Amino acid sequence: MSESFAAPRPSRGAPPFSTPGDPASDIQEILFSQEQITRRVGELGAAITRDYAGRAPLFVSVLKGAVFFLTDLTRALRLPVEIDFMAITSYGRARAQSGVVRLIKDLDVEITGRNVVLVEDIIDTGLTAGYLLRLLQARSPASLRICTLLDRPYRRILETLDIAYRGFEVPDRFLVGYGLDYRERYRHLPFIGMLKNEVLAAEAQPDAALAADADA
Amino acid sequence: MKSPTHAGDGRPRFAHASEAEFARILDFYGVRWEYEPRSFPLRWDARGRAVESFNPDFYLPDLNLYIELTTLKQSLVTKKNRKLRRLRELYPDIHVKIFYGRDYRQLLLKYGIGPAPAAPRTGDSGRRGAPASAARPLVPR
Repeated sequence: MSESFAAPRPSRGAPPFSTPGDPASDIQEILFSQEQITRRVGELGAAITRDYAGRAPLFVSVLKGAVFFLTDLTRALRLPVEIDFMAITSYGRARAQSGVVRLIKDLDVEITGRNVVLVEDIIDTGLTAGYLLRLLQARSPASLRICTLLDRPYRRILETLDIAYRGFEVPDRFLVGYGLDYRERYRHLPFIGMLKNEVLAAEAQPDAALAADADA
Repeated sequence: MKSPTHAGDGRPRFAHASEAEFARILDFYGVRWEYEPRSFPLRWDARGRAVESFNPDFYLPDLNLYIELTTLKQSLVTKKNRKLRRLRELYPDIHVKIFYGRDYRQLLLKYGIGPAPAAPRTGDSGRRGAPASAARPLVPR
């Protein structure tokens, strides 16, 4: 029971309401408008409502990217639901310490015997989702499914990942908005778009060793 | 079976910084990996000696997946794509995923890691919305 949706044609150009200094002015192109997202989230909500009729699923999300999606998705449900959050370390921040992913905020509720839906903003390599699934599965939920707003299968490493509900399949582009950030910014934008090249150029942390690596 | 040289810390001596970074990402998420564990012969001479082979950078035993990191340098990409096609013909049961330079750079950008990008190449103009960084040789999102 996989819900999917092909990406609509993106809107060309910068957001029409952007002004200088407005984060939206850093957007090169809108991939999914607020209206498109709202419509698709409503469809996902209807599908989940149908599949979980008679049950009270627990929606689990990871801070912070999926917060916007989770709140809109659960409001589109016609079910008794609960929500809870986890937080884990990110590779970028832990990179200097050569560590491993760690849970820095656990769930507040027990999930044993519960019907759990893991809500993600985007699934890319699948490594984060894979870690979370292992973590949650070890607690013996009655069922565990994944719902992601965006799916980028092109770079998937964990190819066996079973995604029950997906909003949009997205291309290999750097996306921000509707929870997705670049250096903690742009999450609040109501649409999903691609950052302008010059924004990434100005703010990416140069890594000399990697930059010199031309022939891997 | 290829046996990579190791650095003093017991880790393989990676040929490229991008490979070392990729290994760190796999470690971070608890994915077991082996570095260049196997060489796949692709062509042989009249005496049956392998004259061309493909050595994927990583093998992920729990996923039964080989990973190859590559560059955007077109001549190398073309050659590697040809070898990959040959590999799939000869070894249809081997699962290989190739990460092109652009893919890998996008992956690292997610973590805020990457070189200062250059202006887009003319040949990449069809890649609507791609960051300029995607047009540079290699580096990882």
